[in-house]
Amino acid sequence: MSRPVAITGLGTVTALGSDVSALAAALADGRGGIGALTLFPYRGRCAIAAQVPELTAGVVAALPPATGRRLSRPDRFALAAGTEACRDAGLGPAERRAAAVHVGATIGGMHEVGEAYGRRFTGVDRRLRLSRVLAMPLSTTAAVLSQALGLFGPRSTYSTACSSSALAIAQAAESVRRGAAPVALAVGTDGLCRVTYAGFDALQALDPEPCRPFARDRRGLSLGEGAAALVLEDLDHARARGARVHALLLGDATTADAHHVTAPHPDGLGAAAALTGALAAARLSPDAVDYVNAHGSGTPQNDAVEMSVLRRVLGGRVGRVPISSTKAQHGHCLGAAGAVEAVVTVLALERGLLPSTRGLRAPEWDDVDFVPEPGRRAALGVAVTSSYGFGGHNVTLVLGRAEGR
Amino acid sequence: MQDRDSVRTAVKELLVSGLRLDVSPADIVDDAPIFGEGLGLDSIDALELVVLVEERFSVGIPDEETGKRVFGSVAALTDFILAEQPR
Repeated sequence: MSRPVAITGLGTVTALGSDVSALAAALADGRGGIGALTLFPYRGRCAIAAQVPELTAGVVAALPPATGRRLSRPDRFALAAGTEACRDAGLGPAERRAAAVHVGATIGGMHEVGEAYGRRFTGVDRRLRLSRVLAMPLSTTAAVLSQALGLFGPRSTYSTACSSSALAIAQAAESVRRGAAPVALAVGTDGLCRVTYAGFDALQALDPEPCRPFARDRRGLSLGEGAAALVLEDLDHARARGARVHALLLGDATTADAHHVTAPHPDGLGAAAALTGALAAARLSPDAVDYVNAHGSGTPQNDAVEMSVLRRVLGGRVGRVPISSTKAQHGHCLGAAGAVEAVVTVLALERGLLPSTRGLRAPEWDDVDFVPEPGRRAALGVAVTSSYGFGGHNVTLVLGRAEGR
Repeated sequence: MQDRDSVRTAVKELLVSGLRLDVSPADIVDDAPIFGEGLGLDSIDALELVVLVEERFSVGIPDEETGKRVFGSVAALTDFILAEQPR
């Protein structure tokens, strides 16, 4: 069994807004963030995304000007979210100094380096730009966070497709549990980029309309972008410094499908094992689950497999447990998805507000509570959020309300 | 051969567009240091600027010593380009 770990800080940047309060307001209203893709010209089957507007220059204020000027968009998102989370947690210089950093991401500076390659090979530039190439590695995000926020603890970066930042959260919690650091910052970040956009389009995985998870006529996902950050902290440490605890991470599990490069296992073996494993780690029975923030990507395969897993694990309660996918609002943020949805789930627990599945009018499963728009109030004790990445990378997090524990 | 004013203007425009500086070319002072306190450029910018100057003006900066001297200010870089540029 896992010791609960406190979540004492939250931060986020998505198409729904540039901080947690903007996200919370958009979730409460059921507002959508999916619109025209304008970051780069694209001619394909689909041209929509949940794109983040340009961030203000203030985001990079803590860095030397030359460093800040060269940051990729995902690094800017991560810095904005990480800064918000550390401020929200009230971490002073000494607490930050000891803090670990765990980042989940899949794209890094691929947009920036792609633009530079384009300029080089169309003859606009005669040489490849060093500054753009330096923005490429996934590892820059953690380095930038650590430099800007003064974090000197253990530092890791995970890339497990769409579960990357769910894994970063699980690993951050584990580093706190085993005493490697009293505080750990977990961040997920990813930005839209032509290569990934074209890849999902070629896979015929994108819905030309805003995605409709769990709908009978769903046709695929809508790509999003952004970052989310959570401060995970030893519960006694948090209590000793009088920190506000947003929620608790009660358990987590990571499993593999060992099946296919993009398709989920048809019986959801890995996904089911992640859900049951995370509940076991939290020492909870499936009956304890009050809300499921689904992976709910909106692809025909994912949603069908995910529903069969939930039906199997929740059993007869499946019709009574609210299930929603907020990807219909903030899009599928890929490497950032796990962290964005963990923040969404923490907000649901903390504020007692269930987010809806936007745009869902004709669900494929009519015996399930997919939380009609615009969502509703409900007191929750335990919520789960799952992330399933291509290649069969499955992570489930079990979160609990802070009060009364 | 180009005149000094047009080279100086071209250098300022190259700094702003090539390094994506958040200033207007006209606001760069001819004699102010380019690195450190001046425009806030760093060692990565220096490496990039070597390439940019070579591409734009066909003038190579062969070593660090030369770089330190000619990257002292826009005026110094302009002088170097005028002296070295192929006629």
